[in-house]
Amino acid sequence: MRVFQVSELVEAINAQLAAFGEVWVRGELSGVKVAASGHRYFTLKDPQGQLACVMWASQADRLRFKLADGLAVLVRGVLEVYPQRGSLQLLVQELVPEGVGELQLAFEQLKAKLSAEGLFAPERKRPMPALPQRLGLVTSPKGAAVRDVLKVLSRWPHLQVLLYPVRVQGKGAEGEIARALRYLGKLGFCDVILLVRGGGSLEDLWAFNEEVVARAIAASPIPVISGVGHEVDFTIADFVADIRAATPTQAAELVVAQLERQARRVEDGFAALQRAWQRRFASVANRLALASGARGLAVFPARLQHLATRLDSWRASLPRLLRNLVHLRHRRFATAQAHLLGWPVRFGAAKQRQVLASHMAMARERLKALLLRRSLEVAAKARALQALSPLAVLRRGYSITTREGDQTPLRSASEVTVGERVVVRLAEGRLRTLVVGHLAGSQATLFEDPGRGDEQGEL
Amino acid sequence: MSKESFEQALAELEGIVARLEDENVPLEEALKLFERGVKLARRLRGQLTAVERRVEQLLAEAAEGEQPPTAPFVAESEGD
Repeated sequence: MRVFQVSELVEAINAQLAAFGEVWVRGELSGVKVAASGHRYFTLKDPQGQLACVMWASQADRLRFKLADGLAVLVRGVLEVYPQRGSLQLLVQELVPEGVGELQLAFEQLKAKLSAEGLFAPERKRPMPALPQRLGLVTSPKGAAVRDVLKVLSRWPHLQVLLYPVRVQGKGAEGEIARALRYLGKLGFCDVILLVRGGGSLEDLWAFNEEVVARAIAASPIPVISGVGHEVDFTIADFVADIRAATPTQAAELVVAQLERQARRVEDGFAALQRAWQRRFASVANRLALASGARGLAVFPARLQHLATRLDSWRASLPRLLRNLVHLRHRRFATAQAHLLGWPVRFGAAKQRQVLASHMAMARERLKALLLRRSLEVAAKARALQALSPLAVLRRGYSITTREGDQTPLRSASEVTVGERVVVRLAEGRLRTLVVGHLAGSQATLFEDPGRGDEQGEL
Repeated sequence: MSKESFEQALAELEGIVARLEDENVPLEEALKLFERGVKLARRLRGQLTAVERRVEQLLAEAAEGEQPPTAPFVAESEGD
């Protein structure tokens, strides 16, 4: 019998194994290790047996998913005995997950990883901005998505779109998308970013399932709305985005709906303001009519005279008040104008700037006129109400005196006798008062000169 | 005119409307509220329409702090 050298025998076995050719093996991954060189070492096993495997970095790096323990796989490779250790191993040339597609597996793996990092957490999600007027749009400049989005956005005349054109499929698309998100974040011009792409196969949408895109969305300082594919398509980008829209169209709808909603709130507020004011005005006028009809408040001409004087003094100060208001409004307008000119008129033609300037001059004139008219209306209402209010009269220090248990105001001191009880109504509260005497003089002035006080009696 | 102030001003306006609907608010205060409310509503309207419609395509990135070159963008109407 022939005696072999060890290496000789191993070589002979390997020659036999080569004749064995390529094999397909089904099993479960176990003990997966990535060497510094990038080569993957793992064991393929089933309940009864196991087989050491190695997959060179050049092949392993092409996998879309990560090798993980417990994964059921099919591998193709050739067998050899590793001479230095004399152990059998399979040199893996191809490895595919069993049961699920390769992309599906990669998707699930990344999803699990990012989810564990908390990237999908609801508390990370930022709401739609209160006023999304400047939109960053990251998508292909060709194709249906950009058209759909712009069509919806054209419903609202007061928003601006900055399109960052990218490829949305094919090798390198994910890098372009991530770069666009990073750049728009740095630029800081936009209130919100729309990341959209029309429908396609899982392979077509793949860029939106890449980690680099997910990371860029998560790191974006500006809220991101995703609208990728159709309703049924969920991508990793959708999970990380602050708001997930089902389609590009819906992403745009969300923005326009927000603007429409805010505009409605403002108009509702405006209308309610006017209604409330009118109601209030009517109710004060009603109360006044009641009071003056029965109780005869209006019979004090001296008081009315006094009111008229007050009104005159108010009227005199009104122009100054209005000037202040107009000035304030003007300043605000100047701020708005500066804001408007900041972008993107700078890139626009000089002619457009001229047109804008003339629009602005016109708007400024209109604003001034409107303001003046409104201010006058408000001031007039204020004067009318102040003059009419019985409370206002009391607040200035006048009082109404009645007999106890009687609502009719007393007009003459002679209507009561000494020892009678009367009620004095002041702006705040009432006094029960005992009449202890009459003062001299029948025609009392409202503010008695203290020096002329009669000694006959006192209150 | 920050975006936060829009939401705040809107909330304030809605609060003022609610206050004004309360008959017990003294007249002077009601007047002040009304004036404030009108001011807010006008400002909000102004903010809502402050921006004119514009669609631009970015032509290249620019250095930090600088505005990138852009050109008006019109989507092709045919083909996918």
